[in-house]
Amino acid sequence: MMLLRLISWPYARKHRLRWMLTMAGIVLGVGVFVGMHTANQSVLAAFRETIDKVAGTTQLQITAGEPGFGEEVLEKVQSVPEVRAAAPVIEATVSTGQGNLLILGVDMLGDRSLRTYDLEGTDEAIDDPLVFLAQADSLIVTKTFAGRNGLQVNSRVPMRTMQGDLIFTVRGIMKPGGLASAFGGDLAIMDIYAAQKFFGRGRRFDRVDLALRDGVTLVAGAAKLRNLLGPGYEVSPPSSRGEQFEQTSRIYSLASNITSIFALFIGMFIIYNTFAIAVTQRRSEIGILRALGATRSQIRALFLTESAIAGSIGSGLGVLFGILMARAMASYIGNILTDVYGVAQRADGIQVDPVLIAGAWAMGIVTSLFAAVIPARAAAYVDPVKALQKGRNQALSEGESLLRRWAALDCAGMAVVAVVFSRSTVIFYAGFVLSGVAAVLLAPSLTLWLSRVLRPLLAVARPVEGTLAADSLIQSPRRTSGTVAALMLSLALVISLGGLARASYDSLADWMRIALNPDLFVTTAQSVTSRTFVFPASLGDGLRAIPGVDEVQLVRSVRVPVKGGPVMLVALDVGSVERRAKLPPVEGDAASMYRRTERGEAVLASENFVRLHGGKLGEVLEIAAPNGMLKLPIAGIVRDFSDQQGSLLISREAYIRAWNDDSVNVFRVYVKQGARDSDVRQRILDTFGKQQRLFVLTNKDVRDYVTRLTDQWFGLTYVQIAVAVLVAILGIVNALTVSITDRRRELGVLQAVGGLRRQIRHTVWMEAAAIGFIGLVLGLLLGAVELYYAIEISRRDLVGIDIGYAYPFRTALALAPVILIAAFLAAVGPSESAVRGSLVEALEYE
Amino acid sequence: MNRMLFALALVASCVHAQDARQIMQEVQKRQHSTSQHYEGTLEVIGGGNRIATKRWTFDRLGDFGASKGVLRFTVPAEVKGVGLLIVNHPDRASDQWIWRPAIGREQRIALQDRSTRFFGTDFSFEDLEERDVEQYDYKFLGEEAGAWKLQSTPRKSSQYTYGYLWVKKDNYTIVKIESYNKKGLVRVIDYRDFEQVKGIWTARTTEVHDVTRNSRTILKYDKLEYNIPRKDPDFTLDALRRGA
Repeated sequence: MMLLRLISWPYARKHRLRWMLTMAGIVLGVGVFVGMHTANQSVLAAFRETIDKVAGTTQLQITAGEPGFGEEVLEKVQSVPEVRAAAPVIEATVSTGQGNLLILGVDMLGDRSLRTYDLEGTDEAIDDPLVFLAQADSLIVTKTFAGRNGLQVNSRVPMRTMQGDLIFTVRGIMKPGGLASAFGGDLAIMDIYAAQKFFGRGRRFDRVDLALRDGVTLVAGAAKLRNLLGPGYEVSPPSSRGEQFEQTSRIYSLASNITSIFALFIGMFIIYNTFAIAVTQRRSEIGILRALGATRSQIRALFLTESAIAGSIGSGLGVLFGILMARAMASYIGNILTDVYGVAQRADGIQVDPVLIAGAWAMGIVTSLFAAVIPARAAAYVDPVKALQKGRNQALSEGESLLRRWAALDCAGMAVVAVVFSRSTVIFYAGFVLSGVAAVLLAPSLTLWLSRVLRPLLAVARPVEGTLAADSLIQSPRRTSGTVAALMLSLALVISLGGLARASYDSLADWMRIALNPDLFVTTAQSVTSRTFVFPASLGDGLRAIPGVDEVQLVRSVRVPVKGGPVMLVALDVGSVERRAKLPPVEGDAASMYRRTERGEAVLASENFVRLHGGKLGEVLEIAAPNGMLKLPIAGIVRDFSDQQGSLLISREAYIRAWNDDSVNVFRVYVKQGARDSDVRQRILDTFGKQQRLFVLTNKDVRDYVTRLTDQWFGLTYVQIAVAVLVAILGIVNALTVSITDRRRELGVLQAVGGLRRQIRHTVWMEAAAIGFIGLVLGLLLGAVELYYAIEISRRDLVGIDIGYAYPFRTALALAPVILIAAFLAAVGPSESAVRGSLVEALEYE
Repeated sequence: MNRMLFALALVASCVHAQDARQIMQEVQKRQHSTSQHYEGTLEVIGGGNRIATKRWTFDRLGDFGASKGVLRFTVPAEVKGVGLLIVNHPDRASDQWIWRPAIGREQRIALQDRSTRFFGTDFSFEDLEERDVEQYDYKFLGEEAGAWKLQSTPRKSSQYTYGYLWVKKDNYTIVKIESYNKKGLVRVIDYRDFEQVKGIWTARTTEVHDVTRNSRTILKYDKLEYNIPRKDPDFTLDALRRGA
């Protein structure tokens, strides 16, 4: 404690800026981690909360995937003696001028056994239940939604339905709280039979909510219902819907976790760098302490305590920063997940998880401590005699360099071996870590080597300033190497994720060229992923009759449980798709696989389904459907990007037979040769646009939509990359600040013997540029390796698609000026500090 | 409707079991008719004495325990055309369907929902059933103000556990019913303004009081007719859809 007060505190006060920069590294690292996790968790929590609130006293829910099931199931369930109350539900999310509105279609006669509708200004559930039921346009809205939109009882709400543009009437306003607070309060209640009509659901329900009689256990009740309904139905508590969504959005969570941990890892290098520098600068102090009897463990403890304090303060600030960031990101992430997965999200507030906060705080401290272990050890072993010698303390000893190089080669060798045996996930990830460790260990030697290479080049540019800048780096590789390592890692992250994104876009473009080749798409929403509304199949005949239409393909996409997880089932006219948009086979006989699938004898599995769910060619898949278990072999494996969790292509006829559902999500329309897309589009809109909710998207619209979705997907990754780069740039500022401080006397002497301020500035700028350049070169090289791992991780554990290796040269080229400019900007402050300081003080320094 | 609400009263046993049942059998006998038609006005007096008024027509074919009835709302315009078909069975709960012209479909009223209120009124869907005297056990409790007080207990599934009813001694008409569930008194029904229509003593006004919500519904019957020609096909789902 005394050492902290007498040694550490004065040092920290003297180097306030450096400590602030150090802490900024950990603040950003922890902040990104907390921000991403809290925002993700808030979205999931909001989803779970909506489920809880909508569930009311529901104990079990009966579902059959997204297609739902026929009304007859309700009567079956209601006839079970163990069931006290069962009520059908349709959930739909519609866009209003004020964002998404969750509409709950319920049977108001029986639903109040499960849910409480607490209405404003009346003790009634609805002002006039008969009018509510008699008038199909009836809505009950929440007070929150009414307040936001200036609605009262009898106010009109326009909505685009499958019956065309209609005006709905508010016939009740729910008090806030309970059900009314689900989905952020943007909730409306509609009669379920009206909802069937307006959302085009036919005589189907999404699910049945039920409560059991007193004394009947959940297990017994669920077992009875499963026996009654068969394997095509899921009987589970409401909470399992939250779990399903988490399973669906798993990829997003995993991807964001990886990048946020990476940010923290980069922050660790900043801390390492700062402490390594601090040890070097305080060698004489440490030597004196050791000479006065301080033990090695006391010195080590001193540095580790300093690190823990810095980590503790930085992590605390990082947590606060992360919470602020989560507030800004939660609704954005919610919208992304809504668009990508077609499941409505509404996360207005954030849910701060104390365990996460404590974990992040502890992680920040542990990271700081870990980063300080090597410098603390170095401090503990400082030789008091050598400590008094100046000038050599920033240099790396030959032994140290050799040891690092050997360790790096060992790690690199093991990483290469791991690639050979990468079938094992553990070995693969071990190889990934080892490759990073090898790069980090090699960074000081490579920094030194590159500094030497740069010296003549810098000298050519500016003989005095260039030489001084290069010598500063050569003489003090310890000071620079941490910063270079941080920059190298962050740039490697940019290259690997940038390359992954580029390759994804390219693969996506290839797929879109083949799979999304119809001229027009008739959909129920602007968002192609939305599955709230569905068309009747009969509209297909109407579309075929439109002049200029050559062919119409009917597509029904639904998420159904397969192999224990929700998988996208795409039911379509397989024969027509084979002719028009044949997806290239990854495995299987291209000639027969489409024919077998068309006959309903097999399915086509997407490449990512096979990878992520462990399927293989010829394997018989068991797909539970309301009309019994479908047992279909995988006839072929194709590259399909319809869904991140993988997709199964099935014949429309087989789907209709198994699910009793002939509705359609999208009509793919091919226009006759000679006819203009725009004319046909207008004809479709003129013929059907006023009768029902219908959007006609051009091929370009759909491609743009998919690309925009992908942009959104990578958007947050880019933000994280930006933070990682920012952390690395902070490292440059830190290194330069230290460099200026270290060379204050040297720079003072230079000024005293006639050196111009301009020359001092140029020296610092060139040193910064050299650090940036070295970091850039090493980052681009490591990026080439990391890109391989990024593509492999994506293929194995994220999207399951082999997108091929292609180094992002454009990104690399674009990075060069960005990093050099950033390095220059990072140098402005330190260089001004170098030239504006008192010459006398500089000469007196040390 | 008044006949249907009388059905709530069909209930009793013990020392006077035979007497109580005989009383109820006589009530049922005196109410006997092969068919019925009336137009009704319904007033729901809710919180703050807010009154909602509706009109409907009602037709019945058959008698207690095996009758069929069709109810159609006529006023106000927002509810016009909404219909209800009730098919009573001697041995089990009735089947009921609502016809909703706005969405062009009928909706079956599930058994579990029979205890819910009939469209915001103070009686339930179950109260619309016509149950035969044999579907209850009876108990004679005594005499009060010129009426016999009986206790009835349903033999088949019901929201009520028991009820009290008062039968006027002079004309065997039910003048009051109290219905109880496990928690206590739920509903009180008073029958008033009796008149003889084709020889049948008929209440022209019925008042239902929901004790838990403290609201009242008053039913008034006009154009009452008994034993008029009615055909079976007019009491089917098709007829309900057609609006016959």
